[in-house]
Amino acid sequence: MGDNNLSNQIRRLRFEHGQMTQQQLADKVKVTRQTIIAIEAGKYAPSLPLAFRLARTFGVPIEQVFEYDKNEV
Amino acid sequence: MTQKEEAWVGLFLGVPMLVIPSAVAVFIAYDKGLSFAPVLMFTGTVMWGGFLWFLPYIQRKFHKDKKKIIFDERDQLIHKKSVMASYVALWIYFVAACVTTWCIVGPNGSISVNVMPLTLIGGLVLFNLVQGLASLIQYGRGGEHGR
Repeated sequence: MGDNNLSNQIRRLRFEHGQMTQQQLADKVKVTRQTIIAIEAGKYAPSLPLAFRLARTFGVPIEQVFEYDKNEV
Repeated sequence: MTQKEEAWVGLFLGVPMLVIPSAVAVFIAYDKGLSFAPVLMFTGTVMWGGFLWFLPYIQRKFHKDKKKIIFDERDQLIHKKSVMASYVALWIYFVAACVTTWCIVGPNGSISVNVMPLTLIGGLVLFNLVQGLASLIQYGRGGEHGR
Protein backbone atom coordinates (compact mmCIF):
# COMPACT_ATOMS: atom_id res chain seq x y z
CA MET A 1 0.00 0.00 0.00
CA GLY A 2 2.98 2.25 0.61
CA ASP A 3 5.18 3.84 -2.01
CA ASN A 4 8.91 4.04 -1.34
CA ASN A 5 9.27 6.92 -3.79
CA LEU A 6 6.77 9.10 -1.98
CA SER A 7 7.82 11.21 0.97
CA ASN A 8 5.74 13.66 2.97
CA GLN A 9 6.04 16.61 5.34
CA ILE A 10 2.85 15.99 7.30
CA ARG A 11 4.55 15.62 10.66
CA ARG A 12 6.45 18.91 10.25
CA LEU A 13 3.37 20.73 8.97
CA ARG A 14 1.32 19.49 11.92
CA PHE A 15 3.77 20.96 14.38
CA GLU A 16 3.93 24.22 12.43
CA HIS A 17 0.16 24.46 12.66
CA GLY A 18 -0.14 24.81 16.40
CA GLN A 19 1.06 21.35 17.40
CA MET A 20 -1.91 19.78 15.67
CA THR A 21 -2.46 16.21 16.83
CA GLN A 22 -2.94 13.29 14.49
CA GLN A 23 -6.53 12.94 15.69
CA GLN A 24 -7.30 16.59 14.95
CA LEU A 25 -5.84 16.26 11.46
CA ALA A 26 -7.72 12.99 10.92
CA ASP A 27 -11.01 14.63 11.92
CA LYS A 28 -10.40 17.51 9.53
CA VAL A 29 -9.67 15.33 6.51
CA LYS A 30 -12.29 12.72 7.52
CA VAL A 31 -10.11 9.65 7.97
CA THR A 32 -9.05 7.58 10.98
CA ARG A 33 -5.99 8.39 13.06
CA GLN A 34 -4.47 5.08 11.99
CA THR A 35 -4.51 6.28 8.38
CA ILE A 36 -2.65 9.47 9.32
CA ILE A 37 -0.09 7.35 11.18
CA ALA A 38 0.35 5.09 8.14
CA ILE A 39 0.71 8.06 5.75
CA GLU A 40 3.28 9.79 7.99
CA ALA A 41 5.28 6.58 8.25
CA GLY A 42 5.20 6.16 4.46
CA LYS A 43 3.31 2.89 4.79
CA TYR A 44 0.27 4.10 2.88
CA ALA A 45 0.05 6.28 -0.23
CA PRO A 46 -3.18 8.30 0.06
CA SER A 47 -5.66 8.79 -2.74
CA LEU A 48 -5.51 12.02 -4.73
CA PRO A 49 -8.64 13.52 -3.08
CA LEU A 50 -7.23 12.80 0.38
CA ALA A 51 -3.86 14.31 -0.61
CA PHE A 52 -5.67 17.48 -1.70
CA ARG A 53 -7.67 17.60 1.52
CA LEU A 54 -4.46 17.31 3.53
CA ALA A 55 -2.81 20.10 1.52
CA ARG A 56 -5.84 22.38 1.91
CA THR A 57 -5.95 21.73 5.65
CA PHE A 58 -2.41 23.07 5.93
CA GLY A 59 -3.08 25.83 3.38
CA VAL A 60 -0.17 24.85 1.16
CA PRO A 61 0.16 23.41 -2.37
CA ILE A 62 0.15 19.63 -2.61
CA GLU A 63 3.84 19.65 -3.66
CA GLN A 64 4.77 20.99 -0.24
CA VAL A 65 3.05 18.11 1.48
CA PHE A 66 4.06 15.22 -0.78
CA GLU A 67 7.20 14.82 -2.83
CA TYR A 68 7.84 12.13 -5.40
CA ASP A 69 11.40 10.88 -5.97
CA LYS A 70 12.95 13.08 -8.68
CA ASN A 71 14.91 10.16 -10.12
CA GLU A 72 11.71 8.26 -10.85
CA VAL A 73 9.74 8.90 -14.03
CA MET B 1 -14.61 -0.62 17.51
CA THR B 2 -11.86 -0.02 14.95
CA GLN B 3 -11.52 -2.02 11.77
CA LYS B 4 -8.51 -3.83 13.21
CA GLU B 5 -10.51 -4.87 16.26
CA GLU B 6 -13.29 -6.04 13.95
CA ALA B 7 -10.74 -8.18 12.09
CA TRP B 8 -9.72 -9.80 15.39
CA VAL B 9 -13.36 -10.41 16.28
CA GLY B 10 -13.92 -11.91 12.85
CA LEU B 11 -11.00 -14.24 13.34
CA PHE B 12 -11.61 -15.38 16.91
CA LEU B 13 -15.40 -15.26 16.97
CA GLY B 14 -16.31 -15.87 13.34
CA VAL B 15 -14.15 -18.90 12.71
CA PRO B 16 -15.32 -20.82 15.82
CA MET B 17 -18.92 -19.87 14.96
CA LEU B 18 -18.40 -21.65 11.66
CA VAL B 19 -16.17 -24.45 12.91
CA ILE B 20 -18.38 -25.57 15.82
CA PRO B 21 -21.60 -26.12 13.79
CA SER B 22 -19.49 -27.75 11.09
CA ALA B 23 -17.94 -30.13 13.59
CA VAL B 24 -21.41 -30.94 14.96
CA ALA B 25 -22.60 -31.60 11.40
CA VAL B 26 -19.76 -34.02 10.77
CA PHE B 27 -20.41 -35.80 14.06
CA ILE B 28 -24.15 -36.20 13.48
CA ALA B 29 -23.77 -37.20 9.85
CA TYR B 30 -21.26 -39.94 10.50
CA ASP B 31 -22.43 -41.08 13.94
CA LYS B 32 -26.22 -41.13 13.46
CA GLY B 33 -26.30 -41.59 9.72
CA LEU B 34 -28.69 -38.69 9.18
CA SER B 35 -28.20 -37.59 5.61
CA PHE B 36 -30.15 -34.33 6.01
CA ALA B 37 -28.19 -33.18 9.05
CA PRO B 38 -25.28 -31.62 7.14
CA VAL B 39 -27.72 -29.59 5.06
CA LEU B 40 -29.45 -28.29 8.18
CA MET B 41 -26.12 -27.54 9.80
CA PHE B 42 -24.97 -25.81 6.64
CA THR B 43 -28.05 -23.59 6.80
CA GLY B 44 -27.33 -22.87 10.46
CA THR B 45 -23.73 -22.06 9.67
CA VAL B 46 -24.74 -19.65 6.94
CA MET B 47 -27.16 -17.98 9.36
CA TRP B 48 -24.40 -17.60 11.96
CA GLY B 49 -22.10 -16.24 9.27
CA GLY B 50 -24.79 -13.80 8.18
CA PHE B 51 -25.27 -12.64 11.74
CA LEU B 52 -21.53 -12.04 12.01
CA TRP B 53 -21.59 -9.91 8.88
CA PHE B 54 -24.34 -7.79 10.42
CA LEU B 55 -22.48 -7.25 13.70
CA PRO B 56 -20.53 -4.16 12.52
CA TYR B 57 -23.73 -2.57 11.18
CA ILE B 58 -25.54 -3.20 14.46
CA GLN B 59 -22.57 -1.83 16.37
CA ARG B 60 -22.51 1.32 14.22
CA LYS B 61 -26.26 1.82 14.61
CA PHE B 62 -25.94 2.04 18.36
CA HIS B 63 -22.62 3.88 18.33
CA LYS B 64 -22.92 7.08 20.35
CA ASP B 65 -20.37 9.18 18.49
CA LYS B 66 -21.70 8.78 14.96
CA LYS B 67 -19.62 11.65 13.57
CA LYS B 68 -16.35 9.90 14.37
CA ILE B 69 -14.79 8.28 11.32
CA ILE B 70 -14.25 4.55 11.86
CA PHE B 71 -14.00 3.40 8.24
CA ASP B 72 -12.04 5.22 5.56
CA GLU B 73 -10.33 4.65 2.21
CA ARG B 74 -7.44 2.68 3.74
CA ASP B 75 -9.85 0.31 5.51
CA GLN B 76 -11.75 -0.07 2.25
CA LEU B 77 -8.54 -0.97 0.40
CA ILE B 78 -7.50 -3.46 3.09
CA HIS B 79 -10.97 -5.05 3.04
CA LYS B 80 -10.88 -5.32 -0.76
CA LYS B 81 -7.45 -6.98 -0.75
CA SER B 82 -8.46 -9.34 2.05
CA VAL B 83 -11.57 -10.48 0.17
CA MET B 84 -9.45 -10.96 -2.96
CA ALA B 85 -6.98 -13.13 -1.01
CA SER B 86 -9.89 -15.11 0.43
CA TYR B 87 -11.30 -15.79 -3.05
CA VAL B 88 -7.91 -17.01 -4.26
CA ALA B 89 -7.63 -19.32 -1.23
CA LEU B 90 -11.21 -20.51 -1.78
CA TRP B 91 -10.53 -21.45 -5.41
CA ILE B 92 -7.32 -23.27 -4.48
CA TYR B 93 -9.28 -25.10 -1.76
CA PHE B 94 -12.02 -26.21 -4.15
CA VAL B 95 -9.52 -27.31 -6.81
CA ALA B 96 -7.55 -29.20 -4.15
CA ALA B 97 -10.77 -30.80 -2.84
CA CYS B 98 -11.73 -31.98 -6.35
CA VAL B 99 -8.26 -33.27 -7.21
CA THR B 100 -7.83 -34.99 -3.83
CA THR B 101 -11.21 -36.71 -4.13
CA TRP B 102 -10.35 -37.84 -7.65
CA CYS B 103 -6.97 -39.18 -6.50
CA ILE B 104 -8.43 -41.02 -3.50
CA VAL B 105 -11.64 -42.40 -4.97
CA GLY B 106 -10.51 -42.71 -8.57
CA PRO B 107 -12.30 -41.82 -11.82
CA ASN B 108 -14.91 -44.58 -11.46
CA GLY B 109 -15.46 -44.32 -7.70
CA SER B 110 -18.30 -42.64 -5.83
CA ILE B 111 -18.58 -40.42 -2.75
CA SER B 112 -21.39 -39.59 -0.32
CA VAL B 113 -23.49 -36.52 -1.12
CA ASN B 114 -22.77 -35.41 2.46
CA VAL B 115 -19.30 -34.47 1.29
CA MET B 116 -20.65 -31.60 -0.80
CA PRO B 117 -22.21 -29.45 1.97
CA LEU B 118 -19.25 -30.29 4.20
CA THR B 119 -16.89 -29.08 1.51
CA LEU B 120 -18.89 -25.84 1.29
CA ILE B 121 -18.71 -25.40 5.06
CA GLY B 122 -14.94 -25.91 4.89
CA GLY B 123 -14.81 -23.27 2.17
CA LEU B 124 -16.73 -20.82 4.35
CA VAL B 125 -14.40 -21.40 7.28
CA LEU B 126 -11.35 -20.97 5.07
CA PHE B 127 -12.76 -17.78 3.54
CA ASN B 128 -13.36 -16.28 6.97
CA LEU B 129 -9.97 -17.37 8.26
CA VAL B 130 -8.00 -16.00 5.31
CA GLN B 131 -9.94 -12.74 5.31
CA GLY B 132 -9.26 -12.18 9.01
CA LEU B 133 -5.59 -13.07 8.72
CA ALA B 134 -5.06 -10.96 5.58
CA SER B 135 -6.72 -7.96 7.26
CA LEU B 136 -4.56 -8.32 10.36
CA ILE B 137 -1.36 -8.67 8.33
CA GLN B 138 -2.19 -5.54 6.34
CA TYR B 139 -3.11 -3.54 9.46
CA GLY B 140 0.13 -4.72 11.05
CA ARG B 141 2.10 -3.40 8.10
CA GLY B 142 0.30 -0.06 8.32
CA GLY B 143 2.31 0.91 11.40
CA GLU B 144 0.64 1.57 14.73
CA HIS B 145 3.64 3.48 16.03
CA GLY B 146 4.14 7.20 15.92
CA ARG B 147 2.20 10.10 17.36
